[in-house]
Amino acid sequence: MTTQTTILEKVKIGFRPLQPGEPDWIYRIRREAWDRYLEQPLPERVQNIWRYTAPESFLAKNIDALMNLYPVVPDGSNGKPYPVTPEYAAIGYNLDNRMTVTKMTPEISAKGVVFKDIYSALRENEGFAGRFLGKLVGASFGKFEALNLALWNTGFFLYIPDNTVIEKPILMNRHPGGQFTMGRLLVVVGRNSEATIIDDYAGECRLEDPAANSVVEIFVGDSSRVRYVNLQRLSSRCSSYITQRAQVEQNGSLYSIFGAMGSALSKVNAGTILNGKGADSRMYGVLFGDNGQHFDYHTMHHHKASESYSNIDFKVILKDKANSAYTGLIRIEKETANCEAYQENRNLLLNKGTRAESIPELEILADQVRCTHGATMGPIDPEMLFYLESRGVARVEAVKMIVGGFVEPTISQIPSDLQPVLRNLVLDKLGSEL
Amino acid sequence: MNEKKVIFAFKDIHIEVEGKEVVKGVSLEMREGEKHALMGPNGSGKSSLANALAGHPNYTITRGEAFINGKSLLEMDATERARAGLFLAFQYPLAIPGVTVANFLRSALKSKYNGDENILREFRKELNEKFQALDIDKVFATRYLNDGFSGGEKKRIEILQMAMLKPQVCLLDETDSGLDIDALRIVSKGINEFAPKDGAVLLVTHYQRMLNYVKPDKVHVMMAGQIVRSGGPELALQLEEQGYDWIEKEVMKAVEV
Ligand SMILES: Nc1ncnc2c1ncn2[C@@H]1O[C@H](COP(=O)(O)OP(=O)(O)OP(=O)(O)O)[C@@H](O)[C@H]1O
Ligand SMILES: [Mg+2]
Repeated sequence: MTTQTTILEKVKIGFRPLQPGEPDWIYRIRREAWDRYLEQPLPERVQNIWRYTAPESFLAKNIDALMNLYPVVPDGSNGKPYPVTPEYAAIGYNLDNRMTVTKMTPEISAKGVVFKDIYSALRENEGFAGRFLGKLVGASFGKFEALNLALWNTGFFLYIPDNTVIEKPILMNRHPGGQFTMGRLLVVVGRNSEATIIDDYAGECRLEDPAANSVVEIFVGDSSRVRYVNLQRLSSRCSSYITQRAQVEQNGSLYSIFGAMGSALSKVNAGTILNGKGADSRMYGVLFGDNGQHFDYHTMHHHKASESYSNIDFKVILKDKANSAYTGLIRIEKETANCEAYQENRNLLLNKGTRAESIPELEILADQVRCTHGATMGPIDPEMLFYLESRGVARVEAVKMIVGGFVEPTISQIPSDLQPVLRNLVLDKLGSEL
Repeated sequence: MNEKKVIFAFKDIHIEVEGKEVVKGVSLEMREGEKHALMGPNGSGKSSLANALAGHPNYTITRGEAFINGKSLLEMDATERARAGLFLAFQYPLAIPGVTVANFLRSALKSKYNGDENILREFRKELNEKFQALDIDKVFATRYLNDGFSGGEKKRIEILQMAMLKPQVCLLDETDSGLDIDALRIVSKGINEFAPKDGAVLLVTHYQRMLNYVKPDKVHVMMAGQIVRSGGPELALQLEEQGYDWIEKEVMKAVEV
């Protein structure tokens, strides 16, 4: 089955010709990535990372159509009704593979921030933006990552210069619309800077194809502090595949927050490379599945430098027949000293019929480390329900309080302006009938 | 002549837990303003009785009846019992992680009064006053309920909840255990002040020390699932001095006769 698909594709599908206006160097990268896509077999289901989800789910059913998804040319015209609302420093929109709009406040453009659709950014700035493209998630990362590098057609580029503090969040709205979207986000943050990025996937999709194959690459310079929020609230007909990699340099920090509520099938592979001494990475997850939703989340913390710190706190809530698999890899290189790595995954199963897996993977090659991991799974404690009910709290309210309380310690760690968003997503999902 | 209204009464209550009968026909009647103490050796069924009356799903009342303010209790679920005015201060209060004390009380009040926001108008002020009265540090308002609290702190917070929720019938299950000497005095004062004047309080305790502050009108002794003796406050003093042996002997004698 696996090889059959590959051969079939190889015979039938040559790569599309150079597109007018597309720089040679981009085309070359695409073609090479396409070859890598065809070469690589579908991932085997033996490793944990693919044990819980069928890779076939993320194959494009209609490759021809995909080939014709040329990079979305930015809308460009001003005066469109996409203003930067006061809560944000910049807003970008990807709409239905039809257009990309990016808007910044004058204050942040004056600081030298670059925020563009990724195609324009690469075309105009090969020397800079091109240096980072595919460096963390390239064609050899995996089959679907190669597919993305070959056929990406939308996305954003964000550059924040040294010594630049952006106080308000930068929001990116990603609406796959009816078609399979191949998005890329490339973020480059200089030294001693600060930014919050909200990467928000929402909307409807068609049934026959996966909705989104998205790649995110984030470079955090020395002593910079970056917060990356990935919200996935695609409609329940979608399936989404997101690969995110970040690299954090000396004394830099990255807080990554994953809120997953949507998609029938959502597979996320998120990782941070702690590349400089004292680098700090924290990942928070709040996942809530219902009906037959399937979440497959993999995290990776790769400690390549001494005194680096990582912490993962993933909370999963499941109801109806939803299921989730969490796998978390911690790798600490031999030549490091005094690294700390923590990992915790808790699963709250609201009814029978839900299923959760939690698998830590530790590759600790260094001697001086502090590392802990833990996982729990179970239903709501009936004693807790009784305690609340004995105070006059109705059953539905009691469940809300307990579920809210389950995620609250995680939510309270994230930037305060974002906390209400996640709280509301959880409560909405919980609904009124339990 | 005792003309005061009966606030809380139960009759011939039998309770099963895990298929075992642990309470075997107990009856009690409490009138407006009364405080009763319920004493008895470990495992005699005091907590089972309190939990079952509050509607704990693991404690099945297999026989008997109970009334709060004339309303039959046993058809109600736990929430309804609380809304009818019943309150249980737990022997071992549970932690509710992620829910702060203040938010919990706010939601509980709102829920108890069916979403009526008016109940919350003076919430902050009242909460502050009661924190002060019970000598609880303000930081507890923002801590997760009972999460990592010491034994004594949990007991104070139980009484704080009683003070805020204003129930009519309070079942206080060993609220005195775990309290230090000063805390015992403060919490007792809190019970005297905040327990409803027109309601009833049932104090489950092992020792006289709390009864020095919260003076019971009646004292009942429970053994092996039954109330084997009832008397005035002097009964508690006698137990403190002599233990339960003498009662057990008398009960045995009575059985033989
Ligand atoms: N959930 C339960 N499961 C099994 N047995 C129980 C449970 N709760 C109570 N019991 C049993 O019922 C009996 C009465 O217990 P209960 O807790 O009511 O006693 P108590 O009088 O409150 O004791 P103490 O003074 O030690 O608090 C005991 O034998 C106890 O082991
Ligand atoms: Mg007890």
